[in-house]
Amino acid sequence: MSQAESTWAAEAAAVFVKDWRCEYRTRYALNTLGLFAFTTLVVVSMVLGPVGNTQVMANAVLPVILWLIILFAVTAGLPRIFVAEEETHTATALRLAATPSALFVGKLAYGFTVVVLLEVLITPLFLAMVQLNVAKLDLLVAALAAGGFGMAAGSTLIAAIVAQARTRSALFAVLLLPALVPGLLFAVTLTRAAIAGSDPGVELRMLLLYDGTLTVAGLMLFPTIWNP
Amino acid sequence: MSTETYLRFHQIKRRFGRLRVLTGVSGEVSVGQVLFVNGANGSGKSTLMRILAGLLAAEAGTVDYVEEGRSFDISERRRAVGYVAPDLALYEELSTLENLEFFCELRGAPRSRAAELLDELGLPHGRLAGALSSGMRQRLRWGWALLDRPKLLLLDEPFQNLDRPGIEQGTELLSRHLEGGGLAVVANPGPLEVPHVAGRIDLGR
Repeated sequence: MSQAESTWAAEAAAVFVKDWRCEYRTRYALNTLGLFAFTTLVVVSMVLGPVGNTQVMANAVLPVILWLIILFAVTAGLPRIFVAEEETHTATALRLAATPSALFVGKLAYGFTVVVLLEVLITPLFLAMVQLNVAKLDLLVAALAAGGFGMAAGSTLIAAIVAQARTRSALFAVLLLPALVPGLLFAVTLTRAAIAGSDPGVELRMLLLYDGTLTVAGLMLFPTIWNP
Repeated sequence: MSTETYLRFHQIKRRFGRLRVLTGVSGEVSVGQVLFVNGANGSGKSTLMRILAGLLAAEAGTVDYVEEGRSFDISERRRAVGYVAPDLALYEELSTLENLEFFCELRGAPRSRAAELLDELGLPHGRLAGALSSGMRQRLRWGWALLDRPKLLLLDEPFQNLDRPGIEQGTELLSRHLEGGGLAVVANPGPLEVPHVAGRIDLGR
């Protein structure tokens, strides 16, 4: 009898695969995020649409709306990353089995892929519905990827913090929104640059730095948050 | 203690708000032995087990777990124990085999151990955990606890919902565990027939 060894990467990968397998069978996060985003998208496009928009106004306003749709969809769906583990009492088994940092990375990878999937579904629809042309598609992809990663990292960390609280939903929004504001500002600016075809400037590097800071903070804080 | 593997806890205290649940509980158990914790509902058995597992912090007192001469800190102890308790649940969306294979990955046990344990416990491989009866769920908890052959088993109401063959099998698994160099703490609200009981703690109430 002896405690066997597992590798950190294998643990993180196992958590990622487990979360997607559970999601595939329940479709809770995808349905919540997708329905919320799609409904908001339809309302926005019907209200704004191509009619009445000047190109200047479109460049200024539409990136903000796109990121707000993504933000509120994420707020509606991603707290489940950890809340579900507490509500169904599977958190006990996870605490006794997983290395906290590997668990954080596995959950972060899952959250990021959910956000990417949401962006892949929503962004083309949004651009088509509001008839917005993107001058630099590669920059838009970079903005969505880096901005989405920041959202996933912030959501994963905040979800872990609020999972054990009684007023989870309210607390999640209260803590998450301030944490995501810097990343959102950079992401919106980058998206505007992509639409206008201008240079990304310092914002892309700032957004990547923000992502890195959230990830490192998560890795450092998570073991303390997760365990008693 | 003469053996190199033991669990010893001293003056464990814990309260929830104004409610004092544990007011200085001490005990020890070594290889081949069971420490039996008895007490009515609400007496603090599960709280003590969670503290011993490292799932809950004690307000005061110490827990020392030494395995083969090496002292384990709380995070090492957490990942070294086998734990059966009513509050331990597995993923209802996953099959029994997928559940145990997932935890094999986390605990570093070979994946084949999952099927081996399910066969031993008489559980179907492909059935979703959410579709198991309460007795089968309890068997699955036993499987979870034994995945990486831990030396220390913490068993909180281990025979809950089990039928007679299930209880006999649990007793047999516990006996084998103890004879193979393991130790265990068993908590139950009533008397329980478990082998090799070397000490008892009565939490009363």
